[in-house]
Amino acid sequence: MKSDDTESEDTGGIVLWNDAHPGPDMISTRTLGFWLYMLTDAMLFASIFTAYAILWHNNAGGPGVGQVVDLGYAFGETVLVFASVFAFGVAMAALKRGSHRSVVRWIGAAFLLGAGFLAMEIHEFAALALQGIVPERSGFLSSYYTLVLTHGLHILFGLLWMAVMVAQVLRQGFTEGVVYRLLNLRIFWHFQALIWVFIFTFVYLQGKL
Amino acid sequence: MSHEQPNPLDHPEVRLASTRGYLTGFLISVSLMALSFGLVAGQALSAFYGRVAIATIAVLAVLAQTHFLFHLNWSETQRWHTLGFWLTIPLLVLLLGLSIWMFHSLDARAVMSGVG
Repeated sequence: MKSDDTESEDTGGIVLWNDAHPGPDMISTRTLGFWLYMLTDAMLFASIFTAYAILWHNNAGGPGVGQVVDLGYAFGETVLVFASVFAFGVAMAALKRGSHRSVVRWIGAAFLLGAGFLAMEIHEFAALALQGIVPERSGFLSSYYTLVLTHGLHILFGLLWMAVMVAQVLRQGFTEGVVYRLLNLRIFWHFQALIWVFIFTFVYLQGKL
Repeated sequence: MSHEQPNPLDHPEVRLASTRGYLTGFLISVSLMALSFGLVAGQALSAFYGRVAIATIAVLAVLAQTHFLFHLNWSETQRWHTLGFWLTIPLLVLLLGLSIWMFHSLDARAVMSGVG
């Protein structure tokens, strides 16, 4: 974040290129850029939360949120997604130590926990759909499916990204490119825990109040 | 570019990882969500106070995550992440608040009672 704004009247003294400057810091710029991208993803979620907040009473004579959600089950999903985020954090601590084996092992753990979360969610929504509780039934169900499954889709893409990163760590090692992608995946994955706090609170818990 | 590539593992973004911090973040998040779950499942509060309580707990969980998971602080390496996060909050509040207010008053003025 250094700038060389050396103001000088004497144009002969202007330094056009500083050879000693190490060049742009790729890891810093790309993690900041990806973080800003995740904040725009938060805007996407805010839009869907808005739609849900407006529509959640419109059950059009169909099932309401209280009949659709199961708090105990959703708390199980909560623990799984937080545990997966923790496992990815441990992988990042292993990255700090430079241990390939630990990084791969803990990303594997994060993958399995995340896959467990996704399996629970798929089971939850498949059971709803089999009872005829489908998105086109009411405004509430449309926004409910959209909100929860948009998060689920993020989890799916996070899992694909983890599989790619494990392959890259094994084949390329900790190069600058692999390291910044691992850091971006950390931001992406940890962000899913943050979004889940809101889904669990304002969809599942509020639905039972 | 420099002649010798610096080791990417020495980068501050890598160095700030901490198993203890992530474990603390995990335990706080799970405990707070368990507390909300208990309040709602145990029917301990009225709908209004219940809503205030779970919203407050959610905000606390998010603050804990910004500290322990996202390492948001005002240090040299993290300050732009932190600034971006805090400047996004008013945008989220405006997006949510104005849209909900707009639809709420639209509902109150335009929709026949009992419909919708």
